[in-house]
Amino acid sequence: MNSAAVPIVRVENIVKDFRPGLGLRRRRVLHGIRFNVREGEIFGFVGPNGAGKTTTLKILMGLIRATSGAASILGHDVGETAYRRHVGFLPENPYFYDFLTGREILAFYARLSGVPRAQMRSRVETLLEWVGLTEAAGARLRTYSKGMLQRIGIAQALVHDPQVVFLDEPMSGLDPIGRKQVRDLILRLRGEGKTVFMNTHILSDVEMLCDRVAIIVRGRIHFEGAAHEFLAGGEPEADIVLSGLSPDAVAALEEGFQARLRGVGERIELRVAEKVVNPVLRAAIAAGADVVSVTPHRMSLETIFLSAVEKDRARMQGAADRRRS
Amino acid sequence: MIARILTIAWNTGREAVRSKLLYTLLFFALVLIFASLVLAGISYIERDRILQDIGLAAIRFFAIAISIFVGVGLIHKEVDRRTVYTILSKPLSRGEFLIGKYVGLVATLWLQAGIMVAAFAAVSLLQGAPLGIGHASAFALLAVELAVVVAIATLFSAFTTPLLATLFAGGVWIVGNLTRDLRDLGADSDVDLVRQLTALLYGVLPDLSSFNLSLEAVHELPITASDVWLPVLYGAAYVTLTLLCAVSIFERRDFK
Repeated sequence: MNSAAVPIVRVENIVKDFRPGLGLRRRRVLHGIRFNVREGEIFGFVGPNGAGKTTTLKILMGLIRATSGAASILGHDVGETAYRRHVGFLPENPYFYDFLTGREILAFYARLSGVPRAQMRSRVETLLEWVGLTEAAGARLRTYSKGMLQRIGIAQALVHDPQVVFLDEPMSGLDPIGRKQVRDLILRLRGEGKTVFMNTHILSDVEMLCDRVAIIVRGRIHFEGAAHEFLAGGEPEADIVLSGLSPDAVAALEEGFQARLRGVGERIELRVAEKVVNPVLRAAIAAGADVVSVTPHRMSLETIFLSAVEKDRARMQGAADRRRS
Repeated sequence: MIARILTIAWNTGREAVRSKLLYTLLFFALVLIFASLVLAGISYIERDRILQDIGLAAIRFFAIAISIFVGVGLIHKEVDRRTVYTILSKPLSRGEFLIGKYVGLVATLWLQAGIMVAAFAAVSLLQGAPLGIGHASAFALLAVELAVVVAIATLFSAFTTPLLATLFAGGVWIVGNLTRDLRDLGADSDVDLVRQLTALLYGVLPDLSSFNLSLEAVHELPITASDVWLPVLYGAAYVTLTLLCAVSIFERRDFK
C-alpha cells in the first residue's frame, strides 16, 4: 500500500452541535475532528459508545450537516450526490422495507445506484451468494433474523460495486460464523482494491482487519495512525516469569533493571525492557532462579484505547476543577 | 433523475399495494357504493340522484381519508424506521426521494379511486342512472384534489409526527373547503384588516371547493371547460409550490 496515496476520505476540522429539544443551549458532540483515509486501506474508526463515531459517519453520508468544517469523499464535498454511485454504506442496525424480499431489496438498491439493467440480475445473485442468502432470497425481509438483515445490509452496500465502503458496526448482531464471513468479505474487498471505513468498538476486529485506525473519545480524535504503530507503541518490552527467587533477589532485579513486578507468589512475573532481557536472566539465574518463560509484550489496542479514555476523563476533570476555582 | 424518482415511486406503490390498511378502506368504500343501491331502492323519489349522491360522497370521503392517513406517514415513517439512511446514501437527492414518494402515493391513490369509480359506474348502470361528461369532469377534479391533499400531507410529514400531520392536513382540508366562503365573507366586511386577512388566507390555503363538481354531475347542471381546466391549473400550481416547500424543509433536516 502506498502511504503517500491520495486521501479517499478527508475530514477537516469538523464540528457538530446539536440542540436537544427546543432549548437554545447547544451540545457539542464533535470538537474539530480531522483525519484522512487512504486508498485501498481498511480504516478503523474506533471509540466507545457515544464517542461520535456514528455522527461522523452520518456527516460523511450527508444524513446530517456539520456545524463547521469540511468533509470530502473521492474529492467531492459530502453534500453532493452524484459521486455516491462509488460509495457503499451499511448503517448500524440497518432497517429495510420488510414488505420486499431479499432479492427485491437488492434490485431496488441496484436501480437507485444506477447499475445497468443488463448487469443487475447477475450482480444481485452474486451478492446474495457472497453473504450466504441465496436460499432465503425469495422470503420477505420481515421473516429475516437480525443476522440475516445485517448480511442483506452488507449486500446492499456492495451491490453497485463501490470504490469505498462505509460500515457502521458491521459485526453487530452476527454469530461467530457470520462474523468470520464478514471479516473474510472485508478482506476480500481490500484484495479487490476497495477502501473500507469501519466504525467499531470491537478492538479484536480492528486488530485483525485494520491497516490504520483513528481513536475518537468524546468527540475528539486521540490518535490517527497505522495499526501496527499502536501495537508496537513505546519501547518494546518482555514479560519474564521466574521461580525460586528470594524477596531480596527480586528487589535487586527491580532496582537494578527498572523491572516492574507484576505477579507475586511461587512464581514472580517481571516486565522489563526487551534490551535488558539477557542481563536480567543472567542475574536471576545467578541468584538461584528457574526461568519459567520469557514472552515479548505487545501493547494491545485495548490498552491504548483505555488510556485515551482515561486521558480524556482527566482532561474533563481538570477543566471542571479550573471552572470551580 | 427521472429513473431514480420512478424507482422510489414504484416501490412506494408496491408498499401500498401490499398494505392491509388500503385494502380495508377500499373494501368499506366499495361496500358503501353498493349499499347506495339499497338506500336508493327504499326511496320513492329521485332514486338516481340519491344513488349517485351517496356514491360520489363515499368515493370522495374514502379517497381523501386514504390520502391523509397514508400521506402523513409518507416521509415520517421512512425517517422513523431509518430506511432513509441507506436510500439517501445512494446517488439520489432528498428532493428526488420526496418527489418519488409523492408520485408513487398519488399514482396508487388514483388507481384505487379508479376502482371506486368503476364500482360507481357499475352501480349506476345497474340502476339505469345517467352517466355523462359531468361525472367524468367530477372524477377528473377529484383526482386533482387528491394530488393537492397528498402534497399537503407530504409537506407536514416532512417535519412533524403523523399525529400532528393528520391534524394539520385534516384541518387544512376542512378549512380548504370553506376558503371561498371565508373570502366572500371577508370581502363584505367594512374592516380593512378582516378583508386583508381573509384574502391572505384564501391565497395561502387551498380552495378545495373548486375541485368539487359532484352537485353539477348528479343534477346534470351545465359545466364549462373553464370549470375544469382552471382548477386543474390551480391544482398543479398548488402542488408544485407545496412540494417545493416540502423539499426545502426536508433538505435541511438532520437525521439523528
